[in-house]
Amino acid sequence: MTFRDLVAGSTGNLWRMKLRSFLTISGVVIAIAAFVSMLSFGAGMQKNVTEQYNRLGLFSTMQVYPPDKSKPADSVGRPAILDREALRKLAAVPGVQLAYPFDAFSVTVTVGDTTLSSTAQSLPEAAIQTKFYSQTVAGTLFTGDSANQALVTEDLMTALHIKNPDSLVGQRIIVSAKLSSLDSGVAHVFRGMPDRLRERFQQIRRDSLEYVEYWSRLGRQEANAALSRFMDGFLNARSVVCDTLTISGVLEGRPHGRASIKPIVIPAGRAARFRAGGFSDDPTELLASLRSGTLFGSTDDARGKEYPHITLSLDPNVAYEPIRDSVKAMGFRTFSYAEEFKEIRKFFFYFKLGLSVVGLIALVTASLGIVNTMVMSIIERTREIGILKSLGAEERDIRVLFLAESGMIGSIGAAAGIVFGWLITRVAAVIARAFMEKEGIPRFELFDLPLWLILTAFLFGLLVSLVAGLYPAARAARVDPVEALRNE
Amino acid sequence: MNVWLKASGLCRHYRRGPQEVRAVDNFDLEMRRGEFLALVGSSGSGKSTLLNMLAGLDTPTAGTIEIEGTALSTMNRRELAAYRAHRVGMVFQAFNLIPHQTALRNVEMALFFNRTPVKDRRSRAIEILERLGLSGRIDHRPGDLSGGEQQRVAIARALVKKPDILFADEPTGNLDRENAAQIATLMSQLNREGLTVVVATHDLHMMQEHAHRIVRMDYGRFAGETVLPAGIGAGS
Ligand SMILES: Nc1ncnc2c1ncn2[C@@H]1O[C@H](COP(=O)(O)OP(=O)(O)O)[C@@H](O)[C@H]1O
Ligand SMILES: [Mg+2]
Repeated sequence: MTFRDLVAGSTGNLWRMKLRSFLTISGVVIAIAAFVSMLSFGAGMQKNVTEQYNRLGLFSTMQVYPPDKSKPADSVGRPAILDREALRKLAAVPGVQLAYPFDAFSVTVTVGDTTLSSTAQSLPEAAIQTKFYSQTVAGTLFTGDSANQALVTEDLMTALHIKNPDSLVGQRIIVSAKLSSLDSGVAHVFRGMPDRLRERFQQIRRDSLEYVEYWSRLGRQEANAALSRFMDGFLNARSVVCDTLTISGVLEGRPHGRASIKPIVIPAGRAARFRAGGFSDDPTELLASLRSGTLFGSTDDARGKEYPHITLSLDPNVAYEPIRDSVKAMGFRTFSYAEEFKEIRKFFFYFKLGLSVVGLIALVTASLGIVNTMVMSIIERTREIGILKSLGAEERDIRVLFLAESGMIGSIGAAAGIVFGWLITRVAAVIARAFMEKEGIPRFELFDLPLWLILTAFLFGLLVSLVAGLYPAARAARVDPVEALRNE
Repeated sequence: MNVWLKASGLCRHYRRGPQEVRAVDNFDLEMRRGEFLALVGSSGSGKSTLLNMLAGLDTPTAGTIEIEGTALSTMNRRELAAYRAHRVGMVFQAFNLIPHQTALRNVEMALFFNRTPVKDRRSRAIEILERLGLSGRIDHRPGDLSGGEQQRVAIARALVKKPDILFADEPTGNLDRENAAQIATLMSQLNREGLTVVVATHDLHMMQEHAHRIVRMDYGRFAGETVLPAGIGAGS
């Protein structure tokens, strides 16, 4: 018997029992379609994430954070600080192509007639060139560290109620920030001091002056008043720094997460004036500078400034682990997207495994249908088996003959199931797209049908049907020809 | 006598509850090559059982069968299958054609298991069908053929592999006289062309004029034999 004999014979037999074959094959089709569509979803999601990581160059991006303050420093001396010195050291780690700090500050921006409060972030030109930031939806990136240009994100666009990003390119943007300085606070303490002192002097109850408690109360009152004045001045009487820039381009909006971008991105050199000296009004930054003892840094000395985190752009051809280890050795915490991706891969592995199990359960159910059909068919064809044996068929021939039949059920079912599963994903994709459009979610492809999935599905279908055919085939091979050919 | 096929002490016993059915019991038989042997006996006398054992389809409970000096009992199942595939042709009372296959396919089927090159199968099947006067029936299914035609297809299937021996188990049992006579003549003709033939039948008259020898069976045992005029000096 040749392979063609087997294929022709089994298709012929299936064709003769159309309804039964159709029902049995349908079971396989449904199972494989479920398997394919579900795994196609898993694969699609994974592909999206992977593409996103690649697009943003995340595999070669690492973030460095200061040591965890809640844990006691194990090393002697001061805990590691993410300052300029650290930035310099990090940039020198082999495999690090670029190190730049995260540096954000509150601003008021005016574009056209609209003024609103927002947050800006300063970035060196080299950093804006990285895939991480260079995702423009309109215009171009800024052209130098001190260019009088700015980039805005789609988030700002939304806040400005602008629909077309191209209309923003080339527009002027006025960025201003209030800088609190030590001077403005102190000045406020002394403002109107003589009058206040006279007033206070008149209020003093002289007969109580002998009491120490009274004196200390007076002292406390005066100190509290002075401090509250200082804070008043500090918070209100800040100087305002202002800059007029041209919007060179619009970046894609990324409001949340580690890969977020502030609505306005200003070249580092240009942003220096907003950052010089003064205090931030970001409470955490304020506390950080208090802790590090750099609150009263001088105006043009930002050396002591501590960054919330520093981003490293790594050489994509270098393994990230040694870099991570040397950064950790410096006392910092790290976050590596490549490492995160390993976790994501693990998640997707289990996710797809779970989906496969569901599909396989359906396939097992379908295989019971195959067993049933095959056993029925063998019972009906006992005489035929006897004839074949009398013609010289070996047990092996009979087994192969019936395995070919169940394999044919599996192959047809798997092939149709793959097509059907693909159709399901197409329909689901259309529905999902309509939904995304309605909800304003950026479109993305939910499903992916890679070749490996097609092959796996087909092989699974074939394999399961062959396994299902094992028992019936063995039973067919055992048929006693004498019994089968008896006349009664 | 030049013995070609030899059965000695052949037994096929069935256990049916406490009872033992001796379908074939201590049966001896010697045959020459080219002989035409008719096996007669009433229904249930063990003819079919004997043929099945000789054809390597059934296994004796005791005794031996030798073909050209080789005992079937020394063959494993594959060798027995090969023996059936290459050397034995079988014809049954009930024709035993596969109902959903054409006459041609039914005949071709016999060449599936004996390593006949695929390209030769069809031509050989057509050739033998034409020889048996079935050229107009090649694409018919058994259901569309008369009994006589069906049996001729079955004989074509048995012959297409060019066997050494043909076992026919009541081949005319389901046929009217005319068709039965035709089949008997056909067998005799095939025998004259060199085929060794064993026909089991209870229709003694049918075979009397063709067979070389008649062996009678009764309750599974040898019950005498008659050498007919045609048989004297026939065979080799
Ligand atoms: N599988 C079996 N189990 C029990 N008895 C059987 C079996 N096969 C055949 N027999 C018995 O063996 C005897 C011979 O049967 P068989 O060879 O078919 O006779 P024949 O072909 O001459 O009519 C019969 O009595 C039959 O009932
Ligand atoms: Mg019989």
